[in-house]
Order: sequence, then structure tokens, then C-alpha cells
Amino acid sequence: MAGDTIVQKIDTHLMELFEGWNIYTTAFVIVIATLLLFPLFLWHQPDTHPLLLARQASVSPVRQPGESAVYRSPETPDGYPLRTGLGVKEPGAPKWSSGKNGDLRDVWRQTTRGALDDAGEPTGKTGSILTVLGKERIIEHRLEEVSREINIIGQYIRQHNGQRVAIYLPNSIEFLTTVFATAFYGITPILIPYRQSVEDLVHTLKITKPDFLMSAAGGLPLTEVVRFYGGLKQVVWVVEEGSRHMDWNEVPEGIGGQAGVGVWHEIVEEKKATVGSTIPDNAENETLKNLITIWHGRKDDVGEVVEFTQKNLVAAIAGIISSLPPNQRLNPSDLLLPVESLAMVYPLALTFAALYSGASVVLNSATSQKSDLDLATRSVSPTIIVASAEIAAKSVNKTRSEMTMGWHKLVHWFETRALTVSGRMPVASIFTAIFDYVRPALGEQPGKLRLLFVPERANSDCPVLDPADLSDLRAFTGARVVYALTAARVAGAVTQTSIYDYRAEDARKGKHGHFGVPLSCVEVKVIDTSSHKTTDEGDPMGEVGVWNFSQLRN
Amino acid sequence: MTDRHEEVHEHDDMSVVVTPINLILFVLFIFIVYMKLRPTPPTTYPTRKPTVFRTFTPRTLLPFNGIGDTPVYLSVNGRVFDVSAGRNFYGPGGPYANFAGKDASRGLACGSFDESMLTKDLDGPLDTLQDLGTEEMDALKGWEEKFQEKYIVVGKLVPVGSAEAEAPRR
Repeated sequence: MAGDTIVQKIDTHLMELFEGWNIYTTAFVIVIATLLLFPLFLWHQPDTHPLLLARQASVSPVRQPGESAVYRSPETPDGYPLRTGLGVKEPGAPKWSSGKNGDLRDVWRQTTRGALDDAGEPTGKTGSILTVLGKERIIEHRLEEVSREINIIGQYIRQHNGQRVAIYLPNSIEFLTTVFATAFYGITPILIPYRQSVEDLVHTLKITKPDFLMSAAGGLPLTEVVRFYGGLKQVVWVVEEGSRHMDWNEVPEGIGGQAGVGVWHEIVEEKKATVGSTIPDNAENETLKNLITIWHGRKDDVGEVVEFTQKNLVAAIAGIISSLPPNQRLNPSDLLLPVESLAMVYPLALTFAALYSGASVVLNSATSQKSDLDLATRSVSPTIIVASAEIAAKSVNKTRSEMTMGWHKLVHWFETRALTVSGRMPVASIFTAIFDYVRPALGEQPGKLRLLFVPERANSDCPVLDPADLSDLRAFTGARVVYALTAARVAGAVTQTSIYDYRAEDARKGKHGHFGVPLSCVEVKVIDTSSHKTTDEGDPMGEVGVWNFSQLRN
Repeated sequence: MTDRHEEVHEHDDMSVVVTPINLILFVLFIFIVYMKLRPTPPTTYPTRKPTVFRTFTPRTLLPFNGIGDTPVYLSVNGRVFDVSAGRNFYGPGGPYANFAGKDASRGLACGSFDESMLTKDLDGPLDTLQDLGTEEMDALKGWEEKFQEKYIVVGKLVPVGSAEAEAPRR
């Protein structure tokens, strides 16, 4: 029959085909089988659903002429109220009560009270505040003692009739203590970025008009400053331990009668026995003082004075806290290291967010725009770092230049694929370990770092981190990266990328990719300018405007 | 001699590697690698173009009655709602079809869908509802709240000839 012959033909062809089987064929089969089977064992789910990443901000269905639609966080979409504050509840308050917005004092109260469990009950586990001194020494500050110093310094400023306190300090416990002291004792804090030229500092003092100055001993030439700015009543030096044998009480010649001089550790020592560590309660109907910061856009800018209300600040803190998915939130097992001056409002808000969430904070006074990640983390193992775009860019470029060997590139290729194609963080393995010595050395125990916040300053000379840079930063550090867009007049951030967003599809060299969704405390719209207009076709273009709670109202 | 011998050996080697079955497997291998490495199109999320907020007069509101493919708009207390989602009620043939493209304030307040509830003179002033009692005004407020929950406000209604209606569009 014809059927038989066809079957026979096929059979003979197959026989012929398999006669060619040899050792190479076996090798091919093994390779193909591995290629097909291996992913089955190694397959991991992406960290989040791709559609969730594609969704981004919630867009209002109606837009005003001359503007784009309103963009908001999916947490607080159009029609819902924006997040206004921390939702502070007194201990024992009913679970369903909404809580009040709170202010900076509640941040400190929560810090001393410790983290809350799911039911809102205090767990009694408090975070700690650490200071790194030099290469090895780490000091842990007892929260009770910090509370006492808050009282001592607050009372000291009041006794000297200080109304506006300029804080010109590196990242230190004294910096935080003074900020909290001003909140509890009704004083206006002015945060001046540390390490400025005398001219810039004098200029800043002239426009912010402080009557009190906190500065690191030797951090500024007092005689010169007082000659150009006569408004100071009192100066308090914060003296490092190694320099305490010197007499810092001496009033420099030429300023006699104008400004008095005090020394932080002596003031604290003197009052330690008499001042308690119980922080004052909120008085009724008091007006809370604003927090004044200086925004530096470009290097040659003198700086823009920006005043934030306590409402702005708590909305920003709450927005930052809730922007992370619940299982990635700041928690008591976290250790935050700001590698960016706390005089900038984003690192400051993030530090407050960490303290409020019961996490620990480690401060390193040697951090500045010029420092690098390896150095700043030398003797500690932070789980979260906030670092400026300058520092992040430096770290990426350094590691890239050290990737000279072929296997570095191979490991990097696999890690980048895991991030951008599979949508998950690369897993550390023996295979990736051959790359470890070129990675940035972050912390005493590598692998602890889980989150890196990188704020970008709008309208500034901040370096651009394009999607490829951010992806490399994730691959090199093994930490998730949140890229935040910050602006002069917005507390915290305008928008932040999702921590699960590893996409690098719209990568153009040296151009920003995207900045994620607005925080839940703001809404964003794009307003027409003379050259850019929103039309019904294409993407909205124009000036970006930001409304509400973490933003200043004029 | 040695040269020639090596050539023959090499030839043998090649014929061992290049057999039909090896070729087939090689093509399969290339295909699998290609499938794994080919770029996937990025996931996109469907978005809708936002409607531009408009200032309507009774005359320009009229075309939005749901006939054909037009959306269904109606006005309550000066606010224009897009009720296209409730096309079965407000669209052509629905029980409230009379309100489509019209000022529905009086009708909703009085609970009547009659044509007599609508303002006849499209070029005249808007219905001020001055003559209605508190009961009717409460009913209207209830409707307005319900509309705000369910539908989006796409514009406002002003009388023909008013300053806002005449104002050049930005």
C-alpha cells in the first residue's frame, strides 16, 4: 500500500538521520537541554507585576485649558484627599481613629516611644542614633540623654532671647538636637549648608537674619562674620572631643559687647543635673515656627531661602514613608546613613521618616557632596543610604572604570538582564562573587544595604543619572534604588521611582528616564509656557507645577 | 606527505561534525538563543486622553445628547457632568433622555422628567430656581452629590452672552 511506503520512507530517512549521531550530537543535545531546563529551576518571579510598573501616576479625567491633567500618586488618586500628615495617635487611642497630622515634636516623641506594632501598640523597641567618629569609633547616643540635651539647648536659647537660630553644622547629633530643640521651644531654625565661603555665609546670614548661631568650633572665622553681619547675639560652638582642652569661651577681639560665646558641651555639663529628660507637652493654641532652608541650584548661585511650615514637613515625611510598599517600609531593623547634608530638606525628611518608623540613624560628619560611598560607609553597615546624585554618579563611574576583565562584563551582563528583562534583583551567588572586588565596598558587612535613595535637584547642575546609570547602580551595589525628583519649594520629593522599577527601556545617554509617581502628599500638573503647550496629542510639555501639602503656599 | 595527511584528517573531522542531525540541532540551538535574547516590547498601560474643562452655554451644550457617538452631558446647578457611563438612563431612548444636553436642575429638583421642566429659551438667562421650596432644593442637592460621586465634572454652564461665555478661549 501507498501508506506503507510513505511510512517506510520516513523510517529510512530517520534511520539515515540518526546514523549521523556522534559525540558532537550528544554535546549539542546536552547544551540544548540545559538551555531549556536550567531556567525552570532558576526562574524567579519579577519583584512586581509589569502592569503595575507601567501604570505609574493616576491621571485626572478632566484637565483645565492651558494645563495638563493632574497627576497623583495611586495611593491618593483624583477625588481623594491628599496625605496631610503622619496620623499621630496617642497611645491607647482607638484603632479606627484617624490621628492628627502632627509636627516635628511628634517625630521625636515617636522616636523615644519606639516603633508601633500592627495594632498600633508601642513595642518598646526604640531605634538608636549613632555617630561615626574618624575611622573606627562609633558612639551610640542614649535617646534619654538626647531628650535632656534638647531641653538644655532649648532653654539656653530661650534664656538668651534667641528667636532665630542658624544651624551651621555638619551632620551630627548636635544638628538633630538643635532642630528638635527649636521645635519644642518655639524657635525658628535656619539650616545653612555646611562648608561655605565666608562671603556666601555672610550673605545667607544677612537675608535670613538669625540672632543665634550654632557652629562647629573652628568652622568659621567669627571675627570676620561678625564684622559683616552684626545681628548675632550669641554663638555656640560645638567642639569635637579632641579639641575640648582648648578654651573656646574666649570672645574674639573686636566683637566684644556684640555677641556672646558659649560652648555646647559645657552648657550641657553645667545643666545636666538640673534639667530633666522629659520633653515639654504641646501648649494650646501655639503657633509653630517654620523651618528655613537654603536651596542651592547651581554652584554659583547664592542660594534661595525657602521656608517650610511644620505642616509641609510632616506631609512630606508621611509621603516618603507611605511611598514604599508595606513589606519594604522603613522599620526598626533598618539603619539609615545620610551621605548628604541634613541641611537639604530631602535627606532631612528621610531621616525624620526613619526616626518616626523606629529605625536607627547613623551620622557621619565627614559626609559632604565631595565624599564617596565607600568612605562614608567604612565603619558601619547601613541598610539604607541617602546619597546625592553627585556621589551616586561618582560611585557608578568608578566601578565602571574598574571593570576591565571580560568576566566582569559577563557577570554584569547577566545582572543587568535580571534587572531590566526579568524585573528582579540579581541574586548573589558564587558566580557573581568573582565580581565583588570591583563593586563599591559599602559597609563593614557587604550585602546589608537594601535601599539607596538618590535625590535629583530640579533646575540645578546636579549630574544626570540616566536609566543605564541607575541600572548599573543597582547591579553594582545590590541595593534597590529610589530616584527622587526634588525641587526648591517642595519639602521631601515631588516624585520618586518605585523601588521595584528596574526598567531601562527609554535609555538615552545622559538624559533622564523617568522619575516615577508623585508622593501621596502632592499633585503635579504641567502648565503651558510660551514655548511648550499641552495638546491633545503627544505627551504634555511645559512647566511643572506642584500643588499642596508638602509644598509652600505663597 | 605530512601536509596532505593532515588535510585528509581535517576533512574527516568536518564531516563528523557536519551531519544532518547536527545541523538540525544547531539550527534549533540558534533559534532557542534568539527566542531568549530577542527584545520584548515594553508593557504599556492603556491611558485615556483627559477631557478639557469647558465653559458651556445652553446652546453649546445641546449637541452632547448622546445621539450618534457623542457623549452624554447634562448640567446640574451650573456644573456640567459627563453621564456617558449612565447612557442607558440619560442617552437616547432612556427614561431621562430629555435631560441630555440640557440644564436638568429643575427637573431633578421637582422629580419630573417632563419637557416642561426644561428652560425653553436657550439664549436667555439660566434658570435661577428661585421659586422652588426647601424640599425641592434638598432633593437637588442630593442629586448633585450623587452625580459628583458617580460622574466627572467636565465644565460649567453659563448663559449665552455672559462675560465668561464671550471670554476668548485660552
